[in-house]
Amino acid sequence: MNIENTQSQMRKGILEFCILSVIRRGEAYPSDIVEEMKGANLNILEGTLYPLLTRLKNADMLTYRWVESNSGPPRKYFSLTPKGETFYGELQATWNELSNAVHALTQKI
Amino acid sequence: MKKIININFHSRVIPIEETAYEILQQYVESLRRYFANEEGRDEIISDIENRFSELFADKLKKGAVCITDEDVNATIASMGRPEEFEGEPEPSAHAGASGAAGGAGTTGAGAGTGGASGTSGGFQQGYGPYSTAEEPRRLYRASNDKVLGGVCAGLAHYLKLDPVVVRLIFVFLFFTGAGFLLYIIMWAVLPTRSLTASPASRKRLYRNPDDRVIAGVASGLAAYLHIDVWIPRLVFALPILLGVVTSIFSNIWWHAFRYNGHFIFNGFGGTFFIAYIILWIVLPEATTAPEKLEMRGEKIDLESIKNTVKSDLETLKGRAKEMGTEMSERMQQFGREMGSSIRQGAQNISSDVGYAARKSGTGIGHAIGVLFKAFFLVIAGLVAFALIMALIGLAFGAFSNQGLVDLKGYVLDGFWQNTLAWASFILCLVVPVVALLTWLIRRVTGMRSRRHYLGYVFASLWVIGIICAVVLAGMFVNNFRARAHSEEDFSLQQPSSGNLIIKAHQPLVRDYYDDWWFGEGWHRHGFFYSLSEDSILLNTVQIKVLKSDDASYHLRILRGSYGSNANSALEHARQISFNVTQADSVVELPGGFPITRDQKFRNQQVIVAVYIPVGKKILLDNSVKRYDWLNLNFNRQHIRWDNSWRNDEDYDDEGFLRNDNYYWDAGVQYVMTASGLQRAEDIEHPELREKPERPQPADRPEKKERPEQPEKANPDGRYHYQPPARSNRDSAPKTTTMISTPHSGYLVLSLFGITLFS
Repeated sequence: MNIENTQSQMRKGILEFCILSVIRRGEAYPSDIVEEMKGANLNILEGTLYPLLTRLKNADMLTYRWVESNSGPPRKYFSLTPKGETFYGELQATWNELSNAVHALTQKI
Repeated sequence: MKKIININFHSRVIPIEETAYEILQQYVESLRRYFANEEGRDEIISDIENRFSELFADKLKKGAVCITDEDVNATIASMGRPEEFEGEPEPSAHAGASGAAGGAGTTGAGAGTGGASGTSGGFQQGYGPYSTAEEPRRLYRASNDKVLGGVCAGLAHYLKLDPVVVRLIFVFLFFTGAGFLLYIIMWAVLPTRSLTASPASRKRLYRNPDDRVIAGVASGLAAYLHIDVWIPRLVFALPILLGVVTSIFSNIWWHAFRYNGHFIFNGFGGTFFIAYIILWIVLPEATTAPEKLEMRGEKIDLESIKNTVKSDLETLKGRAKEMGTEMSERMQQFGREMGSSIRQGAQNISSDVGYAARKSGTGIGHAIGVLFKAFFLVIAGLVAFALIMALIGLAFGAFSNQGLVDLKGYVLDGFWQNTLAWASFILCLVVPVVALLTWLIRRVTGMRSRRHYLGYVFASLWVIGIICAVVLAGMFVNNFRARAHSEEDFSLQQPSSGNLIIKAHQPLVRDYYDDWWFGEGWHRHGFFYSLSEDSILLNTVQIKVLKSDDASYHLRILRGSYGSNANSALEHARQISFNVTQADSVVELPGGFPITRDQKFRNQQVIVAVYIPVGKKILLDNSVKRYDWLNLNFNRQHIRWDNSWRNDEDYDDEGFLRNDNYYWDAGVQYVMTASGLQRAEDIEHPELREKPERPQPADRPEKKERPEQPEKANPDGRYHYQPPARSNRDSAPKTTTMISTPHSGYLVLSLFGITLFS
């Protein structure tokens, strides 16, 4: 068993959830999302983010709008759709379950 | 000192170093490969590029003059390389179906892909970041980079080879038959994967579309091997050219080249030709910059070294990972496959067939186009070569046989004809050759003419040449419209021995028996005897043997000629100088008669009619075999000379040779009897008639029984001598056969051709 594999599996498990959380708080632009996550000590590569965002958008979890900026071409600002909200809710429920379970298991010494 | 280019990068203008640009291109290309089957691929890549552009613009705003290699690499590092991405590329984007698999860690959009839909994506998460370091032990079909079914690409990926090499191997195997079957089996059995090109194949064989004469195969090869371009071009072209050249030469001077060129060059020429075609189809074109880099081979610099190191590391990591996960993966795969293999197979096949059909529609069309183009080029090259060879051959022929140079003077009359002859020669032959040479030079040096008028000029010149040739032919034929002859009686002294010997005098002139001239034996078939500076000696003489009405020998000479009208024909006929001499029993005829330049060639003919009284003998010497005959018959009418010289009636209605005159063999003593010419030995030694090689008795009754020719037995009271049916008659047919219309047309054309090019 390789630890890095397991670690990356753990990360991958919660990535979507975290991204959706950030977007849920307000309209966000990809590099903003990266910044926020970095602030929360969850480093993610931009290159990981873009495909994820696109997939979520294609699955109608996210939507975006173009915002004109004065310095160059417009940017995409992502926000959650109702379907995304539902999805997020379920994920949150799952997370809570998991978190409780792990907590319970690791607390017992 | 580096070159800087400006790029329009998502509507921002970015000055960037050329090398940095190439790094960027490679990165984008790797993204493309990574997301090859992703549904939103273009959007993702566009977003990433946009981000790059933004970052570059920021850098420029902060004061950088241009984007350098380091900038690009730094941006790539912050964005992340595809292999570092944590979301896996999804073959079928099932983003966010209900998390049926529970929170079991299927992330990205892979939530619902477990279960029935059964693509290999569900478990790709174990391989996401390591897809480029794919374990080399498993064999897959590639779902990207496939020409037909991706079998070769998958195999190449497995073996870490260049797909082109594998494809070439398969092409060879196809020829043996086993390859086809193998390919089909592998197509059906192997599952597909989106395989990125293995990093090991950084140097691949491409076609180079920028530097192409035909298809860029040669220049691609040259770039790969780092040699000059003309070397592979020469290697491809030389065997074919040499094969063509030597085969043409071997037909002209066959005794010199016959065994040397043919086997070596024609064998190799064919091989290289086919190899070129195969390479044309198989090799991909190097269109993007990184492909061009790959075509040229490794760039030895920091970048490529870094890549090597990185790929090695990844291979290690991948190998390590696979051990652990392969077990679980295998088991799950087994379980999946049971349930979904059929549907999978159907899906695969249908999509593949559709894809292959589309691709092969263009692929086959492409291949057919390739073949046609190659074929056309080969034919054009051969035509050009044949023209050049014709020119050279005729030029040599004309100049080394000095006599032929002057042949033109005997045929063409007047200013116009000469001019037309030269004009049509130049325009018909020289112009196409010049045009082809120009085109060749243009193609090779890469020049492009802005206006295409030159082609039209050449074409119209050539058409004018054709018209001139046609007009010339018309004028030439015009000279042969009428026919006339003059008769002259030669006072013959009766030979004392009762036997007349006819001999032909051998003139002391130079003979042109050049048997190397196009390999034909002209001296045997030619109607002219020899050439000199100012005259031609023709030997169109025919000797006819007839029965005399009285008891003495007679000799009559008929001179005939063609002309543009009756008078000119008669004039030409009278000008023939044919002098007969007699010395007791021997009558000497001239070997031929000369035509001077002023007289012009008008198919002058001489017929010598010898009348033999009954009971007298005649012997025609072997020397008369030298006479030949030529009868140009333009109008397809059978022009009669006069009643007794029905030359053209020698052929009956079905075109078979009839025996109107007495046929004789040279060198045989004949006796004129009441019933016609007979061989002397037949009469004197009738007992020899029983010999088996002379089936005369058997033939006679046969011939008398011919019911279809009763009326021809005695048309005008004369007995028609039917010769015994021997197949190997020697000279008699030759000297008495008249060349009928088809042959005359052929001879006219060849005559025309000769005179034109001399």
